[in-house]
Amino acid sequence: MMKTFGYVYLFASLLFVRVEARAAAFQQEQQTEETGDIILKPSPRSENAVFKKNEQIVYNLRVENNTNAYTTGRISYTVTTDDGKKVSVDSIQLAIKGSSTKDYVVKIAPKTSGFYRVNFIVNSAEYDDTVRRVFGVDPQEIRSQLHKPADFDAFWKQSREQLEKITPRYRVLERRDLSTDKKRVYAVEMHSFDNVVVRGWLVIPRDGKKFPVHYRVPGYVVTLNPNMDSDDFIAFDLNVRGNGNSKDVINIGTDNYCLVNVEDKNKYVYRGVYMDCIRGLDFLCSHEDLGIDTSKIFVEGGSQGGALALVTAALDHRVKVLTMQVPLYADIHDNMAISASYDKQVFPFKVFRRYNSVHPGFTWDKFFSTFDYYDPQNFAPMVKCPVLMGIGLLDQFCPPRCSMALFNHISSDNKEYVCVPNSTHEVNMNYFMFQNLWLREKFRIP
Amino acid sequence: MKKLRLSLVVCLFFALVLPYKTFAGFPIGKYRDIVVPSFNYYSQTNHYDVYGNYVKGAPGAQFSSYSFSLFAGYGISRRLDFLATVPYLYQVNNLGTGNKTITSQGAGDMVAGLSYNIANYDYLRYLSVQVSGVVPLYTVAANATSALGLGNYGAEIKLMFCGALPTFIADKGYFNTEVAYRRYFNYQGPDQISWLGTVGYPIGWHDQVSMDITVFRSFSSNTAFNINYNAERDYAYVKPQLNFGHTFSRRFTLFAGGFYVPYGINTGLGYGGAVTAILKL
Repeated sequence: MMKTFGYVYLFASLLFVRVEARAAAFQQEQQTEETGDIILKPSPRSENAVFKKNEQIVYNLRVENNTNAYTTGRISYTVTTDDGKKVSVDSIQLAIKGSSTKDYVVKIAPKTSGFYRVNFIVNSAEYDDTVRRVFGVDPQEIRSQLHKPADFDAFWKQSREQLEKITPRYRVLERRDLSTDKKRVYAVEMHSFDNVVVRGWLVIPRDGKKFPVHYRVPGYVVTLNPNMDSDDFIAFDLNVRGNGNSKDVINIGTDNYCLVNVEDKNKYVYRGVYMDCIRGLDFLCSHEDLGIDTSKIFVEGGSQGGALALVTAALDHRVKVLTMQVPLYADIHDNMAISASYDKQVFPFKVFRRYNSVHPGFTWDKFFSTFDYYDPQNFAPMVKCPVLMGIGLLDQFCPPRCSMALFNHISSDNKEYVCVPNSTHEVNMNYFMFQNLWLREKFRIP
Repeated sequence: MKKLRLSLVVCLFFALVLPYKTFAGFPIGKYRDIVVPSFNYYSQTNHYDVYGNYVKGAPGAQFSSYSFSLFAGYGISRRLDFLATVPYLYQVNNLGTGNKTITSQGAGDMVAGLSYNIANYDYLRYLSVQVSGVVPLYTVAANATSALGLGNYGAEIKLMFCGALPTFIADKGYFNTEVAYRRYFNYQGPDQISWLGTVGYPIGWHDQVSMDITVFRSFSSNTAFNINYNAERDYAYVKPQLNFGHTFSRRFTLFAGGFYVPYGINTGLGYGGAVTAILKL
């Protein structure tokens, strides 16, 4: 009887494990669910669609025929570099019964370090479709040129000196209407660069006396609200100038925010924005009495927030850990070259190109003479703390190559990255689960 | 993104905040330590015979065991943990009215090994394997027995699957399930297989209840009955246990529980309880 029981248990457990694995795969597939007569579902054989240089690139290609008819045709797959240069073209014969699925294996010769687009194209007599994917090859070896102005360090030293001359005049107001029995919420306000007032939210768990800090900086013209999610961190969310409740002076839409004074490096909007992030750190470090563990501050952001988080960690070593997702503006020179190959322009070069087209005097040299002071990549060598970065391989706003170039310029040896194959300008739930465990590891949080 | 965040909070609460009474299948986490001291009490007066029939004990006969055990775990890497348990036993075996009472005390069998996380499922559920060695911390003279254990070295392999309860069962809570095989290096064995299932459910911000069920079978050519289960070789039992846990801080949680043996073969019919502290250092 005991033996029978043992077999039943093992079978049940293995079945459950199998169901779990299928559920994960299904979740992955759902993100890219498509409809059509013939559906292509390519899955990279390597986890995260990252391969090694001497390794064959292999995709399992599932073909679903949603028609009742036997279908023949070809499936071709074209590989290009991430800036659109053709690398290889090949194809396989398609022959599939009606209302059925068939699996093919697509093999692509090893590639050199970088990211590559691969388009799977199905052509039959009745139907054409294309599925776009991106894979990486040894992305940790991607190198990019730093376009760091000679006076870059002096420029930012001077910026910090100017910030320090501004009296912060912190205001901290408990918002009982937003607080809960588990967390106290405070609205905070401070004077920053050029005496602009910026505001944020501080959320302090009631269940404890001292906490590490999750300092979040915003995405592009994104409103940050009180972050009630974390029980083990004090959550500080800062709306930099022009974002959320910090729009007293700059209140401008997404089409023009990144263009405010773009022709003058001294007045460019991001000079103040970067300094706002530093002022946020000043705030945290001057309010230990609220239970803030200033030895455990981690800064996080996605997109523009990813860039801001990196810049903050670079300029100020009071930041102990950095996590960022899809950092915007990274390696801006290569971003421009890559975006030139897009069928349709996307942010940020959609905005910069439009500005360039209607301002004849605003050359690209002029653009870079400003933006090279703000490219997050130029700050990367100054980052010394542990870093976790997440990127989406289908991201066109922040091309994976640019994010990895930035990552590879980071000085810290304690750095990791996560590629999410089927994500565009975002990462997935799995990334955030890992990030939380990663943070606990770095801060030794029980 | 908001939905993602919301799900994240739910998951993190149950995957990370809620302490588990058992850590078997959950990776401890790189560089982190867990220390779990526990006190156990067990008492029996009656027993089950080799056919599973209830047998009333002799008048006045009672076996009681008071044990203290110390479990320590260290996260060597994200997947690999070192685990060790050292028990200290104090046992009173009253042979019945008019007969003598035998007491025994000392360190029992140390179990130490490595646990490796084979796979995780979205960081919500974990499949792990553990390989351990069993080392008796007492000496047994040739052709003699000890009340503290079998006196033999042994080895164990354990497969563990645990994590958050599936949402189709409950929207919160956790489970742990283990199947283990242990072999003592003696011509009489025994070979032991066991299954442990645990379900835990939060009943408040700091409180939880959990239920364990252990199904245990030890096979040996030596089928002699011994009222002291530590010294038996061929026996079986089913043991449900109910626990209540309170989290005092992020580093300290206390569980108290009670159990009963409703069915057994060639072993005692007893009950007992345990107080377990979980210290995350």
